[in-house]
Amino acid sequence: MTAPATTARPPIWRDVRYLRVLFQAVVVAVVTGIGLWLWNNVQTNARTTGIPLTLGYLDQPSDITVPGNDLRPTQSVRDAIGVGLGNTVRVALAGIVLATVLGVLLGIARLSTNWLLSRLAQAYVEVLRNVPLLALVIFSYIAVFLRLPRLENATTVGSVFIASIRGVAIPWYRIEGSSLAVAAVIVLALAAGWLAARWRRRVNEATGQPAYRWTVGVATFAVVVVVAQIALGSPVSLSGPAVDGRRISGGITMLPEFAALLAALVTYTASHIAEIVRGSIQAVPKGQVEAASALALSPSQRMRLVVLPQAMRIAVPAIGNQYLNLTKNSSLAVAISYFELTKVTSVSIGNRAPAVPSFAVLLLLYLMLSLALSAVVNIANRRLELVER
Amino acid sequence: MASRATFRWLAGILALTLVLAACSDDDDASGEGSDTTDSTDPDDDTEITLVQQGSALEAVKDAGVLKCGTRDALPGFAVLNEDGDHIGFDADFCRVIAAAILGDAEAVDFVDLETEARFTALQSGEIDVLVRNTTWTAGRDGDEGATFLQPTFYDGQGMMVADDSEFESVEDMDGTSICVASGTTTEGNVATEFARLGITVNEVLSFADVALIQEAFIQGRCDGWSSDVSQLTGLRSEFPDGPDALRILPDVFSKEPLAPAVLDGNTDLAQAVNWAIFATVQAEEFGIDSTNVEEFLESEDPNVRKFLGVDEEGGTFDPGLGLPADFALQVISQVGNYAEIFEEHLAPLGLDRGINTLWSEGGMLYAPPYR
Repeated sequence: MTAPATTARPPIWRDVRYLRVLFQAVVVAVVTGIGLWLWNNVQTNARTTGIPLTLGYLDQPSDITVPGNDLRPTQSVRDAIGVGLGNTVRVALAGIVLATVLGVLLGIARLSTNWLLSRLAQAYVEVLRNVPLLALVIFSYIAVFLRLPRLENATTVGSVFIASIRGVAIPWYRIEGSSLAVAAVIVLALAAGWLAARWRRRVNEATGQPAYRWTVGVATFAVVVVVAQIALGSPVSLSGPAVDGRRISGGITMLPEFAALLAALVTYTASHIAEIVRGSIQAVPKGQVEAASALALSPSQRMRLVVLPQAMRIAVPAIGNQYLNLTKNSSLAVAISYFELTKVTSVSIGNRAPAVPSFAVLLLLYLMLSLALSAVVNIANRRLELVER
Repeated sequence: MASRATFRWLAGILALTLVLAACSDDDDASGEGSDTTDSTDPDDDTEITLVQQGSALEAVKDAGVLKCGTRDALPGFAVLNEDGDHIGFDADFCRVIAAAILGDAEAVDFVDLETEARFTALQSGEIDVLVRNTTWTAGRDGDEGATFLQPTFYDGQGMMVADDSEFESVEDMDGTSICVASGTTTEGNVATEFARLGITVNEVLSFADVALIQEAFIQGRCDGWSSDVSQLTGLRSEFPDGPDALRILPDVFSKEPLAPAVLDGNTDLAQAVNWAIFATVQAEEFGIDSTNVEEFLESEDPNVRKFLGVDEEGGTFDPGLGLPADFALQVISQVGNYAEIFEEHLAPLGLDRGINTLWSEGGMLYAPPYR
């Protein structure tokens, strides 16, 4: 006998839909309650010991000097953090570019049919993947960049190149007058070049004449820049480095701390990227390789036109993760006194900025950097995705 | 079916109970009554009674051990010997405080701290007192929530250069690079001092690890190494190429009173630490040291008798600091007086007493009267 079917609602204390909502509400309440209790705890402790939890310290003088930067000690902590953030971005960008190049090359080398090349690549990856990064950073600094000669014995190539323990210097541009004007000119020139390239592409589509997009675009850019340089009275000049007493003046100097950090980050992250690239190349179906061979593509064409594009689609999320790691690992600069964000925060805490708000600000800034970076990686990922109908 | 529904109900009720309990729990973590007002201005704490402020000192006595924040690798102040014991000037003052409060100089739990973690350890309660060659500054009294006590060592900041360099004083060092230890007052002081002299410092590099500073200095990354003169003397004595390879410039360019610190609000513990330190100074003034303290117990001088907590027919003098009546006796017999502590740890480094002598000899050490 079947039980009589009923359309009446169960009582509220047995109604699954109601209970589900109730339970979720209770969980939210518990989590919020714990969060509020912890926050209350922090506030009470801060009040009892008289430590402020405000951000007022940001406007106090920082007493920080940053090597390689004009920051004055009387400027605010906010400015110092800005300089640190700039340095972090500089290290992260340079590191990402170099690590990708090195990592992809290593990953491909690992799969090479040349026995020596693949074994060397394997040795590199196995060693560097398994070394703690902090040790690598300090080793890179002590064993490599602190061994550069003193300034009086520096390796110099005229006024073009100086390598010493105070830094590696090369010629660089110098702007007299408004750098905003120069930046505006550059943007204008880029726009002009891009428009010229677009015009050439339309000409090519309409008439079939060779487009020469790059040639015309770059030529337009150069013309605009030269004209502006003459018109504005040559604000941009080249300055070469020179030894000036105990320091290097002119040009641009790469500090040994920056170089050591960059070298360690790049070699370490490249070993991880190499493994990712190797895995993703091996994940490309063998049929693709065979089909490419059947089309009479050479091995390098095969890699460049068939395998790598498909491999990169698989590799991009993982490599994006390594980029995030690299950005956050740059905080190890604290160990070798490179003044990026974490080092500046650490120094400002030593100069009696309150620890809890300082680290909260630090975490937020790293979060912003990481979110920005992962947004860019997601754009790349989406463009590479297989579009299904 | 019924058991599953029952479980869900019980879980819901349990969660609700937790939330209610958490929301209504308003006590401050320090265990004091609600004498502190709701403003963040510490000056509003005027209504403090003796009973409620007994917490920090009582907590140390109840624990039976003093948690002392120190370090493990500064010659003269605090180093680890082969047996793992902490030896040094600061380490001995930890023992002085423990002998005063607990009657046992070895009842100390030494907590080795990195420079950056000094004040957070104090704020979090990981240590009771910080005795780690820390400079007493206004900012640390204020924002760091520390209360500094009687300085144990009046120091100054100096500059050390290679012996074969051409610098004779800090004024010659325009445009140079200086290495300092990170997380200290030294970092800010270098820029300030250079600005005061009208010269500029090219770079100030700060490292957490002394070994790294030494390496950078040896390789010529920086021209000068700046730190407290006492630290420089200790580091110079340990320099791998020998102390004569280095020269400490005669200029002393800031005041660095090194003092122990406790957390703000622990007045009783602060006073106990203060009087423990004063005991060492007063003992030197009386001429009492660890070798002759037994004879001084028979002294006719009423001040000495009060100081050592000798029983009189009317009772023993107890000023109400929360310390045992014979705390000075314990301090001197188990550790020593100020001169003994200095001679044992700092004199071998080549440090003179300098201004760290008694007021009667023209120095800075002056203990208030114990009566």
